[in-house]
Amino acid sequence: MSRRVEPTITRREALLRLSSTVAAAAAVGAGVVAFHDRRTVTAAPAAIPDWRTPPGGQGPAAAARGADPAANVRRAIAAIGGIGRFVRPGESVLIKPNVGWDRIPEQAADTDPTVVAELVRLCRGAGARRVVVADISCNDPRRCFASSGILAAAGAAGAEVLDARRLRLVPAGLSGLAEGLEVVEELLRADRVINVPVVKHHSLSRVTIGMKNWFGVLGQGRNRLHQDIDMAVAELGAIFRPTLTVVDATRVLTANGPVGGSLADVRAVGAVLAGTDPVLADAWGAALLGHRPDALGFIARAEQRGLGRSDLALITELGTA
Amino acid sequence: MTWTTRIRTLYQAFFLLLFVWLLAHLAAGDPRAFPFTVFHHADPLSATGTALASGTIPGALVWAAALIALTLVLGRVFCGWVCPLGTLQQLASFLFSGRTRRESLSVNRYRRWYAVKYYILAALLVGALAGTLQTGLLDPLSLAARGLASGLWPALPGGRPAPGGWLAALLLVAIVVVSRWIPRLFCRAFCPLGALLGVFARFAVFRIHRGSEACTSCTLCAFACQGADEPLGNHRVGECMVCLNCLPACPEQAMSYSALPPLPEPPQQPDLSRRTLVGTVLASLAIAPLLRATGGGRTAARARLLRPPGALAETDFLERCVKCSLCQQACPTGAIQSAIAEAGVEGFWTPVVVPRRGWCEFACTRCGEVCPTAAITRLTPARKTGYDGKPAVRIGTAFVDRGRCLPWAMQTPCIVCEEMCPTDPKAIWFEEAVETARDGTARKLQRPRVDAARCVGCGICENKCPVGEEAAIRVTSVGETRDPLNRLLAGSVQT
Repeated sequence: MSRRVEPTITRREALLRLSSTVAAAAAVGAGVVAFHDRRTVTAAPAAIPDWRTPPGGQGPAAAARGADPAANVRRAIAAIGGIGRFVRPGESVLIKPNVGWDRIPEQAADTDPTVVAELVRLCRGAGARRVVVADISCNDPRRCFASSGILAAAGAAGAEVLDARRLRLVPAGLSGLAEGLEVVEELLRADRVINVPVVKHHSLSRVTIGMKNWFGVLGQGRNRLHQDIDMAVAELGAIFRPTLTVVDATRVLTANGPVGGSLADVRAVGAVLAGTDPVLADAWGAALLGHRPDALGFIARAEQRGLGRSDLALITELGTA
Repeated sequence: MTWTTRIRTLYQAFFLLLFVWLLAHLAAGDPRAFPFTVFHHADPLSATGTALASGTIPGALVWAAALIALTLVLGRVFCGWVCPLGTLQQLASFLFSGRTRRESLSVNRYRRWYAVKYYILAALLVGALAGTLQTGLLDPLSLAARGLASGLWPALPGGRPAPGGWLAALLLVAIVVVSRWIPRLFCRAFCPLGALLGVFARFAVFRIHRGSEACTSCTLCAFACQGADEPLGNHRVGECMVCLNCLPACPEQAMSYSALPPLPEPPQQPDLSRRTLVGTVLASLAIAPLLRATGGGRTAARARLLRPPGALAETDFLERCVKCSLCQQACPTGAIQSAIAEAGVEGFWTPVVVPRRGWCEFACTRCGEVCPTAAITRLTPARKTGYDGKPAVRIGTAFVDRGRCLPWAMQTPCIVCEEMCPTDPKAIWFEEAVETARDGTARKLQRPRVDAARCVGCGICENKCPVGEEAAIRVTSVGETRDPLNRLLAGSVQT
């Protein structure tokens, strides 16, 4: 520390200081003028791609039963052409399970972790460049992904597991009831998308399975869709056309859905359906919960829109392994 | 930098980083069981305050006794070597000071008004004895934690806004920045924890000693003295923060830090005026009843005063809450906020659940796990949810606002609240009704109703309600487990 400088300054220094102050003020001012009130440049809303692959000679869906959920997944997918028909080497795949709730697998509020992990493994085996498992949970995302076992199982199988904290939402120009909602950006980046819902009771739409599972890729305001749930679910089915729908009915939630809680409301079914027809997939799940598919508003509407068919006879039942 | 300074700086850096690192992991929701409360458990001010106010000694706070024992041996090493707020101030004073040696000498002289902290300490402890625990307002650990949580984390990417957090942030910044002019001003003049440790430090075994034969009275030792305790003259042991800056500063090696026999004459008292002290004690005895009388009282339940799950009844809660903000940081959904006016004057900065900010996650017991004084009881998920067969822990009850609710008021289907309800069976159910719409068509509606016997008041219904700013279903505190007088339903509690 040196002695204090002279109390007076020279004219030269005064000029220098004044001019540097003016320059600094001008720079700040210029910055303000240049950047103030600049609206975030919003890119044109991205269109939702169609992730379907060309139809093969196989049926639209196959259901397998057995004690091992992973084996059910493999058998069901093999029966509709094998994973190679849906995922090609180098593609990036997004898997959308239902991880909405802070519940353990036995409570059947979220997709079974073994089903998700087996799908990840299949996609990896088919040469997928990147496999993402993503969902925007209703409960705290950290707790949901941990309690459901999906973070651990899918992570170990080689997927990137992304919860709401790590997902970016972007405007997508959705039409209909979903107008104005944002969607998960990862979805738009994926080459292939696999929807992996769990079969559950829901007191508004009666059941929540595959098409309702798209709520989980939507941002704030998605709860508005409940105002006309049957219409909304059918519209979501028309907006999001997944490569594959894999319905997890390892356990189904028969009451108090979609959150559940009591193990008394859970029924072990031990079945998995894989299919390219999302309406048929929902119809199969609805039947498991004791509903006639055409009696459900969203299935009827989706069928009218030509999104698929609800005729359960179209499903290849593989039976118990 | 000499080796003593270097070692001290290493200690300070370690404890500051540990403090920030633990808080950051807590706020980030790290599920691992780090000792998040370690600093607060070793805080004798919280321990003494809680003990005086509640008449009990929270078990974990016995670590505070260890810190006092340490102070009795080594002096106020906590202030000089450990305290994160002290380190921040010292850093600011080191980085921004442009003082000449003459200015340094003058700024590090003792001032009589530095004794203010002892009055503050007396006021806080007597106030606690009289029933209002306010140590957290000035406790350096609470202030540092709160300043970071309310002022820094929200500004980081992904941070959640903390309404009213600017106040704590501003206080923290002011304390740190003012060190540019007077080093460690907060520690020297205002810190009640430092004052408490100072009371014990006067009896410390290890002290700064000046060999009077070698000393040439050059005053170099006082240039960088952090505690303004004047090692050159009549050393004020109670003010010394054991920064050891005076040791290497002495050209004659006259200064030493060593075990010394008790001071021959009674050690120097804090610079207190007896009259002022008596006045302070009397005034602070009046604080509690005054705050209670003018702040709205705390026996009457407040509708929007939702306490975290497991919180004790309001009186017991206020006797234990040290306003450390750890529960606020631990809450995964951001539901726990610092009360500004919700809990009265007395409850300023105590935690309150704000459902529109976040909801109480059904099986989450994080807030109770990190509460250092058990103001929030430690619950297990089974106990909290009622899965153990006993009644679930409730923090309030949800009420439907039929004037705003979509099915009730607008004949529009919704029941998002029912969908989100975590209890089993759901506390929110609906009655089916067919109403005639404006255009004459019949509309089938599901109108939500709350089963008060099932509702735990978690607030996820209020949080997720799609009716904009003011939700159409709102939680109020009635029915909360912690207050047997704030009951809604007659008879035995079910669920």
